Amino acid sequence: MSRHAFLGTLLVTAVLAVVAFAAPAGAIEFSLAHGANGRCFVCHAKPDIGTVVVEGERKSLVVTADDTHDSIHSRLDCTACHVGLQPREHTAEETLGWYQQAKLLGCSDCHADQFTMYSKSFHGDLVLGENDKKAPSCADCHGSHGIISPGAPGFRETVLPMCSRCHGERSETYLDTYHGKAFRMGATTRAVCTDCHGYHEILPQADPASMVSDRNVARTCGKCHKHASGKFASFLVHVDPTSPKSSMSVWVMELNHKLLIVGLFLVGGLHCFLYFYRGLKEGLYSRGKH
Amino acid sequence: MASIETHHSPTAAARIAAAAAAVEQVHYQRFTAFQRWVHFLIMCSFTVLVFTGMPLRYSDQGWAKWEMSHLGGIQTAGIVHRFAAMIMVSCVFCMLGFFARILVKTRGRYWGPGTMVPTRKDWHDLVAMVRWFLGKGRPVLEHDRYSYWEKFEFWAASGGVTIMCVTGAMLWYPQLTTRFLPGIFLNFALVNHSGGALLAMGFVFVFWHVFHAHLRPEVFPMDKTMFDGGLPVDEYARERPLEYERRVREGSLHEVLVPVHSPSRQRVENVIWWAITIVALLVWAAFTLFVIWVASFWLGSL
Repeated sequence: MSRHAFLGTLLVTAVLAVVAFAAPAGAIEFSLAHGANGRCFVCHAKPDIGTVVVEGERKSLVVTADDTHDSIHSRLDCTACHVGLQPREHTAEETLGWYQQAKLLGCSDCHADQFTMYSKSFHGDLVLGENDKKAPSCADCHGSHGIISPGAPGFRETVLPMCSRCHGERSETYLDTYHGKAFRMGATTRAVCTDCHGYHEILPQADPASMVSDRNVARTCGKCHKHASGKFASFLVHVDPTSPKSSMSVWVMELNHKLLIVGLFLVGGLHCFLYFYRGLKEGLYSRGKH
Repeated sequence: MASIETHHSPTAAARIAAAAAAVEQVHYQRFTAFQRWVHFLIMCSFTVLVFTGMPLRYSDQGWAKWEMSHLGGIQTAGIVHRFAAMIMVSCVFCMLGFFARILVKTRGRYWGPGTMVPTRKDWHDLVAMVRWFLGKGRPVLEHDRYSYWEKFEFWAASGGVTIMCVTGAMLWYPQLTTRFLPGIFLNFALVNHSGGALLAMGFVFVFWHVFHAHLRPEVFPMDKTMFDGGLPVDEYARERPLEYERRVREGSLHEVLVPVHSPSRQRVENVIWWAITIVALLVWAAFTLFVIWVASFWLGSL
């Protein structure tokens, strides 16, 4: 082997070695999500970055890797949802635009089926059709940076607080039923709002396609209660026993019980107390003791 | 004349001494073994039903969640609740059989002096007691087999247990119930089961039963007759003089007299009595506090 050939081989090997070792190092730095998101966190992890006002509500701009750590989207780039965002200082208007997009349209790229269902639903119609700012979009129910899978433990517990933000009275009456009581006591497999009303496709009861319409409600109950009939489904789930407007007969029955309890406890209490008091005064407690 | 004979005739004195010794060897058995076992099972199942059911009524309270988690979760508590309910229902059927037997034996005439049916005398007793409570007259401490408060408790508890069994069964089998009834009957069942539970709990643990069986002056700290049935004959004659005299008159006293239990058995019974007494008094105190809490809860919501 000539000397030139030897040096040439050595050079090629050295170049290959450098490329072989350098390439993975470069890939880590430039292609992994956290590396890319790291550029966002340079500013957004700073506690003093400031706030932005969205629909009258002041929101912090601080986002750290910790916020997204447990999220099912933790490996996504920030720009996967904040579409079109550039890693430079953004104006308030730009941020707001991205915020709205991230809450709704940013999701539809990957979750097109759910978005189609949602857009036909009562909530979707309010948001997309009537531009209602209060009605929930994706992120209102699912969360944003800390988003977890709907199948993940802990997700079902978030349903009731989420719905009760607007449907407070319905949540109260739900918690009066066995479903609500059991759920609150930790039996989170029991029915919660979304099990009966659906989620992406929620429709008002008056709509025949609704899960709780007269046509469908028995089938909805039947998901858990085998052989549930229409009569079974006519059980009043959302009834307030303390209000005659909710159901007159249930209210009368509840009131009757309260009066009975107060009356019997008063009569019984007086009978006991006076028996005790007079017995004590007349020495009956020491009478005939051996 | 009798006293002269006692002093002067050795045979008569011996007979009386023998009779006195015999009296000390028997005691009055107020309740049969059947009745005592039914009472014991009702006591146990009722307590379990209250403890497994009450947290559901107050599911928004911290103590309820704490209790439920220590009972092994709502699923386990539900199974235990239904199991206790089946014991309670069995006791109800036992009592129905018991009364059916009485009705057959007495040919439907169950309103003699020892009856459980309210009588005119009960009303007079109640009026006299209320007068005594208010500082007039003397208390009615002499009763026949059942006093007015025992009869009231029996009928109130019978009505209550019927409502609780029926509504509980409706909630246990909602599909079957709504095969015959509209769904709103499940709402009715829920309201009545929940309200009836509070009513029964207060009635039994605080305002009626525990008081009359434990804290009443005549029996404090405990009426033992429900747990071994035994009461010395002289105490029986003083507590239930009307029944005692009636039985002497009718010659049926022997029906309620049994040999005194052996000393070793009495020792065991004493341990059981005191255990039950202490638990009952603790339960009474705890549930009195609970009722005060419920009352403040209600007053706060007004």
